[in-house]
Amino acid sequence: MTPTLPRLTLWRAIVAAIFAVGLYATYARFFLGFQKATNLTDPQPWGLWVGLGTLCGVGLSAGGFAIAAAVYLLGFERYRPVLRAAVLVSFLGYSSVIAGMMYELGLPWRIWHPIVMWNRHSVLFEVSWCVMLYSTVLALEFSPALVEKIPFVHLRTWYLKWHHEVLVGLVMIGVVLSSLHQSFLGALYLMAKGKLYPLWYSPYLTTLFYLSAIPAGLAVTIMALYLCIRSLNVKLDTAILSELSRVIAPMLALYGVFRFVDLSKNGALAYLWMWREETLSFWLEIALLVAAPLFLLTREKVRNNPQYLYWTCSIVAAGFMTNRLNVSITGLQASSGVYYIPKWPEFACTLATLTAAVLAFRYAVMYLDILPKNAPKPTWMVKGTVAHA
Amino acid sequence: METGRAILVDITKCIGCRSCEQACKEAHGFPKETEAHLSPTALTVIEERGDKYVRKMCMHCQDPACASACLVGALKKTSAGPVTYDGTKCIGCRYCLVACPFSVPRYEWSKLVPYVKKCDMCAARQAKGAPPACVEACPTGASIVGDRAEMLEEAERRILAGGYVKHIYGSEEAGGTSVFFISDVPFEKLGFVAAPTQPLPTLTANALGDVPTVVLVGGALLSGLYWITQRRAEVTATETNAVRTNETERRQS
Repeated sequence: MTPTLPRLTLWRAIVAAIFAVGLYATYARFFLGFQKATNLTDPQPWGLWVGLGTLCGVGLSAGGFAIAAAVYLLGFERYRPVLRAAVLVSFLGYSSVIAGMMYELGLPWRIWHPIVMWNRHSVLFEVSWCVMLYSTVLALEFSPALVEKIPFVHLRTWYLKWHHEVLVGLVMIGVVLSSLHQSFLGALYLMAKGKLYPLWYSPYLTTLFYLSAIPAGLAVTIMALYLCIRSLNVKLDTAILSELSRVIAPMLALYGVFRFVDLSKNGALAYLWMWREETLSFWLEIALLVAAPLFLLTREKVRNNPQYLYWTCSIVAAGFMTNRLNVSITGLQASSGVYYIPKWPEFACTLATLTAAVLAFRYAVMYLDILPKNAPKPTWMVKGTVAHA
Repeated sequence: METGRAILVDITKCIGCRSCEQACKEAHGFPKETEAHLSPTALTVIEERGDKYVRKMCMHCQDPACASACLVGALKKTSAGPVTYDGTKCIGCRYCLVACPFSVPRYEWSKLVPYVKKCDMCAARQAKGAPPACVEACPTGASIVGDRAEMLEEAERRILAGGYVKHIYGSEEAGGTSVFFISDVPFEKLGFVAAPTQPLPTLTANALGDVPTVVLVGGALLSGLYWITQRRAEVTATETNAVRTNETERRQS
């Protein structure tokens, strides 16, 4: 009993510290302004909050639509046990993206403007509508997990019956919406022709963003499931994890091939070996997102060992984040002439939002029927926060 | 679209007196201190490049990237020429700053309720028949205003008369703008960006044009997949049932 106590306080203290610092950073953002709270400038108007908060947040939450489509539309019943967890990860991912928007927008109280003020020539307009609609779809897909807990039988059965009837339609709408906005996040940068470094600018940014989002989203889902098994007494056959991971390698290979064909078609191959910071960032991205995962995931030893798999998936996620940050930050450095490094409140706000999402996930798994569970083992729960935070 | 007003800046005639800067600041009620670069309180500035003076301001593109980027339509190209900004719509996403090929729009980073700031070619003044404040203040005629086609003709006339680089900056940059520059020194030496020559909104228009296709084809494809999955499940169920019935019959007989 005594050995668990200090660890518990340590991790609670860390979470509390993250929130306290995040709270001060939030104060700085809203009461001191962008200039005090961020290093954003006119040449680099989009920084960490867009690059990490939005681009990575949305991309890494792509697991939900992929698994929902696999189960409901392709009939892969073997993924059904992890469906709810996958949808929850996505829903919380999108929630944190929307929370992040409140920091990122200059006038966040006008976040509803796109609903009534339309500009259909704007990629961002399409993205905002897709994100709004898809967040709603995710909330509806996930809603039975909450409704089940309602003590009123009639209401419960009425809702679940109604839900069952529209579910497949919802999943289809979700797949279409996801495909649109996952790729349109790339289309945002089509306009930056002449500004975005040739290693990242491509007329096929849409396809590249889409192809990379699905494997990255699946990788995050696997990570979340592994942490649930390890720390939240979840009883799940780890064979599901290795099965899910089988899909990732071919997708990343396809992405890698497409990326290099695209680079050669854009005449950007000459930039591959220039002695510049961009070149280094590019190869880091390729190493983490394509080379290392392909090497590791084709090994049975890695696929069948949940812990190895977890770390491999975290490499995929890191590679994905490198790519999105390269597009949104590194790739614009040369043309803007500004070397942007986020100020600490930018990190603090993003970290606090993310921690809130992780905590919400943890409590949902603990108190709702998200995943099948073993008999409770309180000591393990402590580790949950360790690995999550 | 050759209609609307345009400004022609003749770099050979600019003496760097900054009258345009001051007139702009006065027209907008900004503090009068001279600023080195464009800012929320300096919508046009004179930058020294060697012995030349280069005026920076919004180029008022014919098909502006900022206006197509803005998700709430706060930025608009008016038929009168100026690209205007409606602060009451803006949500502060700053995509216009990312999209502008000339990196012109500024953001009020120091304010708690920040807006985008950029030159609007004195749209309100021009609507009343007055020239933009900066043009009116120019003592040497380095900046003149007129109909876009006229300004292009005037620029061409001056170039043909000799003494200029044979390019009107703004005639094809970003698909054509409503602010033109002519110079006796190559533009790249004066810090002008080599902007893409196509209108930038065409770059995203293709992607946006795919939306109906994705929705229709995607919807049909997914419905088809779902139908196949359902059908498979049905067939399996019927077969299992058939096997079961056969077995029961055999047992009974």
